[in-house]
Amino acid sequence: MSEQNQQLEQNKQETPMTILSRSLLTGFIGGLLWSTFGTVLYYFNFSEVAPKSFVLSSWFHAEWIDTWLGNVVTIFLIGLLSLLTALIYFGLFKKINSIWVGVAYGFLLWVLIYYIMNPIFSTVPKVADLNMNTIVTTICVFILYGTFIGYSISYDYHDFHRADDNKNS
Amino acid sequence: MMNNKDKKIPISPKIKDTENYLKKRLGIGVSFDLGFREIVLLKRKVQIYYVTGLCDSIIIQDLIKELVNLNDHESNSKKLPEIIENRLLHQQVNQAKTMDEAVDQMLSGLIVVFVDGEDYAFIVDVRNYPGRTPEEPDTERVVRGSRDGYTENIIENTALTRRRIRDARLRNEMLKVGERSKTDVCLSYIQDVADEGLIHLIKERIEAIEIDGISMADKTIDEFIINRKWIPYPLVRYTERPDVAANHLLEGHVLITVDTSPSVIILPTTFFHHLQHAEEYRQTPAIGTFVRWIRFFAVFASMYLLPLWLLFVMEPELLPKELAFIGPNEDGNISIPVQIVMAMVGIEFLRMAAIHTPNPLSTSMGLIAAVLIGQIAIDVGMFSPEVILYVSISAIGSYVTPSYELSISNKIVNILFVIITGMFGLYGFIGLFLVHLIVLASLKSLKTPYLWPFMPFNAKAMLHTIVRIPMPFTNSRPSIVHPKNNYRQPSKK
Repeated sequence: MSEQNQQLEQNKQETPMTILSRSLLTGFIGGLLWSTFGTVLYYFNFSEVAPKSFVLSSWFHAEWIDTWLGNVVTIFLIGLLSLLTALIYFGLFKKINSIWVGVAYGFLLWVLIYYIMNPIFSTVPKVADLNMNTIVTTICVFILYGTFIGYSISYDYHDFHRADDNKNS
Repeated sequence: MMNNKDKKIPISPKIKDTENYLKKRLGIGVSFDLGFREIVLLKRKVQIYYVTGLCDSIIIQDLIKELVNLNDHESNSKKLPEIIENRLLHQQVNQAKTMDEAVDQMLSGLIVVFVDGEDYAFIVDVRNYPGRTPEEPDTERVVRGSRDGYTENIIENTALTRRRIRDARLRNEMLKVGERSKTDVCLSYIQDVADEGLIHLIKERIEAIEIDGISMADKTIDEFIINRKWIPYPLVRYTERPDVAANHLLEGHVLITVDTSPSVIILPTTFFHHLQHAEEYRQTPAIGTFVRWIRFFAVFASMYLLPLWLLFVMEPELLPKELAFIGPNEDGNISIPVQIVMAMVGIEFLRMAAIHTPNPLSTSMGLIAAVLIGQIAIDVGMFSPEVILYVSISAIGSYVTPSYELSISNKIVNILFVIITGMFGLYGFIGLFLVHLIVLASLKSLKTPYLWPFMPFNAKAMLHTIVRIPMPFTNSRPSIVHPKNNYRQPSKK
């Protein structure tokens, strides 16, 4: 009897609801982390496009955007937007347990934001006008971001179902 | 010779046959360290086989004295085996039915007692291996806390662990590895905590090892059970501290102890396990956290400081104007990347030399190193002073890494970073940064992602990695070991 209880305890680690909420948390933290990373790279001129170009400067014109406050608000906003990318990944790819899906997801996000959605962002130059440093750097940041979110969500999902498999076998 | 594992030879009732067999198989009389003593008890021959050096002579002498005294008190020679068993005054007396078992045990340092006319032998555990007493391990020193460390003796090692966990559910499973060396390998875990799948997997891999001997003990086992190819990163964690090992057992990890090695393998391991140190847990949580952050910073510096600085030297336009002072004031005679690589190799010279140099010479070696590399190289115009500064910081950073294995692998990657950055500039640096991180994240050690809890991300475990949480709030075991029993203490709510 006690043996069975232990088995159950091993398996009930995570319920589906917490998997979703954990994925969202991963998305949020991922957004914070990699937008911070992007901001630092912008500061060191690795990239001529700052994360804040996408979420703030293209839409508003205010003094504070150019100060550190602008960066902090940007990082927080990207954290929130990142909930959406995590949700999309969770909906589409969570069952594929491979790190490369995350890599591809990050790259696709880059293509989406820099190529397809480019006209929306008034302060972001066209890809053709960006210098090579910027392109390489931003692709790397997006790939790392995609990997972070994708690999985490897939692993979490599989880890949860691993417990199910154990129960059945 | 090796084939008689399958068809086991029974012990012959004729003691002359036994003697001849053992002389032939073990080379008694050829090898000086194998010997036997024949005594006559109640008119029957009794032979005691031993390996000198591996057993305790005083105990053997006491046993022989007791046996010889039999002749004065006993007379029933038919009951001799029972009488002998009774008079072997030792808590560990077993019987062996086959020659192979007897030989194995004898070569482990036990004595084997053959009685003429009987088809079994007595085996008495009088082992006493040459070895040292537990002392504080050199690589994992702490300011406070226990100073005992594992030794080369597996029995003492498991005892040191057992002393810290008196749980009835702690299991120490003994396996044998090595067709010739027959080395003892002990698998330790807490039965109702550790993941059964993991235990099964490890046991399977250890039992699958087919090799003549494992003189390099734990390292060989590590290479057999972990598929690493050419990745330099350490995929298992070693510790010589029983308190660290016991703590990991309680968390649900599995330990592998190998006889003749003071390093115990902790499985499964992630990258961040290599950045932990017992010292953090011996100080208050705030100090522990501070120490850990400084250590993270040092390890980061040892990896990225040099290539970043090189990048800024090569492409000064990257620097924001507040930091524009960075970079050498005057151009040297040798290009900066070459200088850095030379200085790094120089530091490796010193490090390796320091391992082999006898103590009396090491002071003078340090002096030569400091003067030679530090001052003269600058005066001659070979190195720019900044190169020395940054290479030194990076070297010190790598010494801060608690795991020796990790610091060396970081060093290799660091050199690679410098070379690639020197060749390709910013593309090289950022590209290698990406590849390095992805390769590390895709590594798996026994199905455990290497960069967990960072990538794949686990918020709670990451918090425990970044901040040293006070013990009363550490209620659950890390999910990465898939513990069967998740709670370390009832959570207070």
